[in-house]
Amino acid sequence: MKFWEFIGSLDRRIIFLIIGLAVFIPLLAPLKLPVITTPTTEDVYNAIDSLEAGSKVLVSFEYGPSTQPEIEPMAIALARHLFRKKCEVVGMALWPDGQFMSTLVFDRIADKEFGLTWGKEYVNLGFRPGGEAVIKGIAREFRANYTQDVRGNSVNDLPIMEGVYSVKDFDFIFSLSAGYPGTVEWVLYAADPYKIPMSSGTTAIQVNEVIPYVKGGQIYGILAGMSGAAEYETLIATPDDATKFMDAQSIAHLLIVVFIVVGNISYIVQRRKQN
Amino acid sequence: MSRDVWILVSLGLVAALTAVTIGFISWGVSNHAIGFGFWIGSLLTLGIFSYLYKDNAFYKFSEHLFVGVSASYWIATYYWTQIDTNLWGRLFPAQFPHAGHQQNLFYVIPLILGLFMLARMIPSIGWISRWSLAFIVGLYAGLRLYGFLQSNIMEQTRDSLRPLYIPGSFVDSLNNTLIVVGVICALLYFFFSREHTGAFGVASRVGIFFLMISFGASFGFAVMGRISLLIGRFNYLIQASDASTGYASAVVTAGMVLLLGIGALRSRGDTQEA
Repeated sequence: MKFWEFIGSLDRRIIFLIIGLAVFIPLLAPLKLPVITTPTTEDVYNAIDSLEAGSKVLVSFEYGPSTQPEIEPMAIALARHLFRKKCEVVGMALWPDGQFMSTLVFDRIADKEFGLTWGKEYVNLGFRPGGEAVIKGIAREFRANYTQDVRGNSVNDLPIMEGVYSVKDFDFIFSLSAGYPGTVEWVLYAADPYKIPMSSGTTAIQVNEVIPYVKGGQIYGILAGMSGAAEYETLIATPDDATKFMDAQSIAHLLIVVFIVVGNISYIVQRRKQN
Repeated sequence: MSRDVWILVSLGLVAALTAVTIGFISWGVSNHAIGFGFWIGSLLTLGIFSYLYKDNAFYKFSEHLFVGVSASYWIATYYWTQIDTNLWGRLFPAQFPHAGHQQNLFYVIPLILGLFMLARMIPSIGWISRWSLAFIVGLYAGLRLYGFLQSNIMEQTRDSLRPLYIPGSFVDSLNNTLIVVGVICALLYFFFSREHTGAFGVASRVGIFFLMISFGASFGFAVMGRISLLIGRFNYLIQASDASTGYASAVVTAGMVLLLGIGALRSRGDTQEA
């Protein structure tokens, strides 16, 4: 009985320490647990894989440094898949720090890994404030909202932007979203009204908000947090950070489940004792 | 040790780290090799983590720096991407040719509305800012209403109307039945014009179970999200403990633990004396 009382009154800092070690140790000594793909991730993969070479894809970066560990692995895996398919990728951001995030991904994948040409095979248009108003704006007249890319080149001079006058001129939209404005706004103001094929990668906490659109067929699949990114890395056969991090993720989850069970037993035991 | 002394100590630590790094750089070691950013990143990351132990000067310093840097970053980004390009560029295209716009005097209206917002800083005319707010509220209400009606109500209602029996597929039939029953019962739970008793009460209680499952899924995803962020920071600290960074995170961890330990011992001593 004293054991359960001890557990019930455990200093929260000890729990923080145990969780910290459960995350830290697998990062130093990976267990290489298998990553099993789920249908929602497979839907994203199939949608991207069915795009033809030369398809114009709009990738919107709606995340910042605080959610970078979750979204960046999926952004990198997505960029690899799109560039392997020889799609033309146009990046933009609805979050101010999304511009930094998109620059990191394009520099690493498009520039260094694939050696692609800026303005021809990919371009980064950067951030515009206004949230859904920007989406509505580019749906009506793209070039009124974006006159230049992040390097100061006129949009009219970019070969990749030939024939792009509205968001409707894109073959696919992908939203990398960590909140508002993000995937929900893209569904509401672009994908649904103009019937543009769309998919999304979101933070885990946003999945419950977005999953009804996936089940309703309004968007093609969803990459759900870090596990979604790891599954996508598995599907494109290029394991990277997300796959590496999943061991720590799994161990921490297991430990939290144990804490919840043990905490509840302790609570029930103490309540019975009081009664 | 008083709070002010702690703040001074942490500021001194930052200054010392900066001085050491600048010293190394000036002696010819490259910025990349020293990893100046790793030192600052480690200090701020561990400063925020130190709150898990207790509120302290490292945490306060990191938090205040974050708030200040975020605010300045947002202001700078909004100015250069919106006010400079989209406002001045359209009102004065000759003076702002990099924006690539034609002159459009219609943009005087957003300029005036923007100035009205700044009127909040002068209490006697602060009420003018309500006009701008009214415009924003009206605009976004209109935008959202249309989007929600189409995507969240029409499309989601259409998707909820599913056949309960699909020949040859028990799993799909069960899945569809669960969705239809779940949607109806959860909606009934939010119907407050009738007492939740009898068959109606049973249905609303079933609705609660579906809602609980939804909250459970949300909690699970929230845990996954938070653990992912923790993994990201730990991975950063591991990278920052490399020899090429000058063992930044290891040194900062040791220094911080030492200072917090001394602080804890001093405060224990103060308590005993009192």
